[in-house]
Amino acid sequence: MALLSRHPWFAASILLVPVLTLAAPGWPRLAGVGPCWAILWLLPWALAEGRLSGVLAGAILGLLLDSLHHGGVSEMPALMLLGWWWGRIGRLGAPVERSFSLGLLALLGTLGLDLTLMLQWALRSGLGVGSHLPAGAIDPAPLAQAGWHLNDLGGAGLHVLLARTLLTALLAPVLCSLQLLLWRQQGGGVGRR
Amino acid sequence: MPAPRWLRSLALPSLLQAWPWLLVALALLGVRLSKGAGLADAYALLSRPFWPGKAQAEWLRSASRFEDTARIGALEAENARLRGLIGLQQASPKRLTAPVIAREPAGWWQTLLLGRGSLQGVAEGQAVLAPGGLIGLVTSVTPSTARVTLLTDPASRVGVWVGRTRRHGLLTGLGTPRPVVRFLEKEPGVVPGDVVTTSPASTLVPPDLPVGVIQSVDAAADPAPEAVVQLAAPVGSVDWLQLLER
Repeated sequence: MALLSRHPWFAASILLVPVLTLAAPGWPRLAGVGPCWAILWLLPWALAEGRLSGVLAGAILGLLLDSLHHGGVSEMPALMLLGWWWGRIGRLGAPVERSFSLGLLALLGTLGLDLTLMLQWALRSGLGVGSHLPAGAIDPAPLAQAGWHLNDLGGAGLHVLLARTLLTALLAPVLCSLQLLLWRQQGGGVGRR
Repeated sequence: MPAPRWLRSLALPSLLQAWPWLLVALALLGVRLSKGAGLADAYALLSRPFWPGKAQAEWLRSASRFEDTARIGALEAENARLRGLIGLQQASPKRLTAPVIAREPAGWWQTLLLGRGSLQGVAEGQAVLAPGGLIGLVTSVTPSTARVTLLTDPASRVGVWVGRTRRHGLLTGLGTPRPVVRFLEKEPGVVPGDVVTTSPASTLVPPDLPVGVIQSVDAAADPAPEAVVQLAAPVGSVDWLQLLER
């Protein structure tokens, strides 16, 4: 947490994530879907700052993003887990610097984050209300149940998952390497070990 | 045998002298047989410069518009009174215009953020209209913003009906640009091209707001027949919306 101890106000850059999520700029889009800004900020931060800072940043990001979205699913568990994992990677072995490595980590992170969201929706969909209507009648209760359903997750959900994962992985080598360089320079280079 | 005297008096030379009168007689006969058509047309041709001008036509149109407006007002008042008697939503609530300040039309959540909030009287559940028809419902409000869940969001459920067949259904977002109507009856009898509007029986949204047009029908869908709807409002490109008071 060298960066936080030297320049604590750099942590305010975390606010860029909800701002970019809200602004949803039109240029970085793949099939209409934007990237996962949380991953693009958390990856370099956790790599430079370590496990504890990564978990904390993941929790804060999760709280911020959950407040922006409706529905009973949360991004916080996955972001905390990713912050811990990437913080651990940053402390073990050679520092992660290669574009391919950053892209791969961002791809796996976005995939994991979106899969946890899909899992939560699938569980909610599976716990639907049972029918007490006679055979042949249409039960309106499952139809009225809001949120992603299993069928939709396999169709439009898969589309969103693939587009967001690929786009985030493509942007990561550019955006994450610049942030990583900045954080390491400002942190005095001690954040890599 | 010589010709009779009266016939001799109609000699050819005298007939030739009287030909203008014969023509007049034939013309009058034509007018009579055509029930005055030629006369009326001639009168119309001659009197054209004196016909009522555009100003008078505009007066008539204006009067017609006034009559229509008054009639619609009376019908709406009667409709509101009847809907009030049975406790349903008002058909013509007041409208508040709001700018779109952030949009997320694709992805896991499909929402808009509007620059009007509770300070301006916005409340949860208000219907949001774009040019063309209903676009979504307000799902959360802050003092200066309101979040709109679009009809395409999987969390969106709105009661609709097809006016032609009077079949009710639930408009359900799938995360794609086109939501589906899941009908509450096994045989909805709808066809592509049918117009979908909000249900008159809905207690959430005002009745008869245009929503879209049915694009395709899957009568064998499980658990209910469903139809893909092309929304009437351009979801991705609107900058100003209207909120309907509840």
